[in-house]
Amino acid sequence: MPANNNRLGLKAAGTISKHAVLIAVSVLLGFPIFWMVLSSLKTNTQALQIPVVWWPHPFLWKNYPDMLSAVPFYRFILNTLMYAGVTIVGVCLSSSLVAYGFSRVRWRGRDLLFQVMVSTLLVPFFATLIPLFVIYKDLHMVGWYWPLMVPTFLGSSVFSTFLLRQFFMTIPQSLSDAARVDGANEFYIYSRIVLPLAKPAMATVILFQFIYCWNDFIGPLVYINNQVWFPLSLGLNLILGTYSTNWPWVMAAATAATAPIIILFFFTQRTFIQGIAVQGTGVKG
Amino acid sequence: MTTETTTIETMFAGGRMAQRVPPRSSRAADRRRARVGLLFISPWLIGFFAFFVYPFLATLYYSFTNFGGVGAAKWVGLANYEALFRDPLFKTSVFNTFYYTAIELPVATASALGLALLLNMNVKGRAIYRTIFYIPSIVPLVASSLIFVWMFNPVSGIVNDLLSGLHIPGPEWFFSITWSKPSFILLGLWGLGQPMVIYLAGLQGVPKDMYEVANLDGAGPWQRLRYVTLPMISPVILFNVILQLVACISYFTQAQVIEGTDIGGPGTSTWFYVQYLYEQAFQFLKFGYSSAMAFLLFVVSAAIMVVLFKSSSRWIYYASEQQ
Repeated sequence: MPANNNRLGLKAAGTISKHAVLIAVSVLLGFPIFWMVLSSLKTNTQALQIPVVWWPHPFLWKNYPDMLSAVPFYRFILNTLMYAGVTIVGVCLSSSLVAYGFSRVRWRGRDLLFQVMVSTLLVPFFATLIPLFVIYKDLHMVGWYWPLMVPTFLGSSVFSTFLLRQFFMTIPQSLSDAARVDGANEFYIYSRIVLPLAKPAMATVILFQFIYCWNDFIGPLVYINNQVWFPLSLGLNLILGTYSTNWPWVMAAATAATAPIIILFFFTQRTFIQGIAVQGTGVKG
Repeated sequence: MTTETTTIETMFAGGRMAQRVPPRSSRAADRRRARVGLLFISPWLIGFFAFFVYPFLATLYYSFTNFGGVGAAKWVGLANYEALFRDPLFKTSVFNTFYYTAIELPVATASALGLALLLNMNVKGRAIYRTIFYIPSIVPLVASSLIFVWMFNPVSGIVNDLLSGLHIPGPEWFFSITWSKPSFILLGLWGLGQPMVIYLAGLQGVPKDMYEVANLDGAGPWQRLRYVTLPMISPVILFNVILQLVACISYFTQAQVIEGTDIGGPGTSTWFYVQYLYEQAFQFLKFGYSSAMAFLLFVVSAAIMVVLFKSSSRWIYYASEQQ
């Protein structure tokens, strides 16, 4: 039937135009990464040539080992991993305890305090920084990661607490009630019943904290002043300062700092995207 | 979704959630539960006083003093605030931050929502597109700043090369006083993955039958967006706008990195509020002066939030309240 054919044709045209738009946006958004990688494989002359050389000839893979040996890149990575490792422990411990208190036990004032906690998300980092810096300086903690690690043991990661609370709320209350009847105390219920069930939410928290540390620039900039202890973000900035005339190296360093996180993202996408959706809508996706 | 789940945006909106009535029980049991609850949240409670209450009060106090970080703070009254309002660099940094926020906030909101609407279309391979759309926002900020400075560099950058192919003379982007702020806005638009994913989750939560009803009423795509989609996701919009606003007001990392390159940030055209605060505190050790800036930052952001929440009752639709 011609009418039916027409409709099918329209539908196909619609599908094709949808893909065309999606592909166009993908190219636009993907281009900077593509260009970073291409630039990292050029000679300095090629990189600065006008008109622009699109395709490096040959691919100068040597930029990577050269850049890696010119700067303590591995050291930066090691520092970042240490920063991430310790704060992950802090966040997992404190946020899960706090989230439990905000979800599995009913008490007066709980929801009000929870609102207070969530609203601290809106306080800009710099609004409270100066007195904290003075305290840490008096405690001789400035210069190393202490000021960035200590708060994570005191529930500073509000997003993690929020995420875990949302998850804890989906666990049937009857499990806790049954355990209470059997005489279990709250800490037992927290550690033996709720936490084992919350492994997926914990995985999300760990992932977010890792990425946060990998990208964190402001915290280390304020507190870490010795290059030996620089994390990746400051290291990258240092490379820029030292080799600002050698853009292929700068781009190689940027690629080396970005690649691990993109690879991690590929393997953990579901957890990742669900976690963000929960933060925004409060509903487990 | 259980009845107990509270969405973050209702938290922000000031306790609109239904107050749960705890089951009748003895006062002793109430007290015991409150003790247990407070014990569990005690890490955060300690942190709250140490990292918010004390610093807030101390910032206010320092802002009335002349303080270099060591020794005693010397009381100077309102001198810091008076000096601030006479300081041209302070005014510049306020203007730049305002300029950036005023443009970035609406444009970023529309773009993130636009990307989410694209991803919400019914086509095959949506997951792949979503991955590609999301990736820019996990690139470390330092790296993405470097990429943009490099791509937009006025001499050998790929952007101006492409523009000259179209016979458009490219501006000097980060290197130009007029174009540096728009360049930062472009950089901000590359990395909207987080609000995009949140909008997408919001869009997927809009009941399908609402669109069917709208279709029956003869609503076109634009009307469906205006009268169904936007009201239904308005709480999510508020949430994203607030987070984006906090990010805009405290704009720092990208500007700091790009000004460190030899081709970015001319003069004071990209001197943002928080950068000026940082410089006054940690390069010139003027802790009193920068505390005055920090306190103003706090007051202004709190005021904006209050205005947003107060106005939100007029444009936010909470499905649960209509019952």
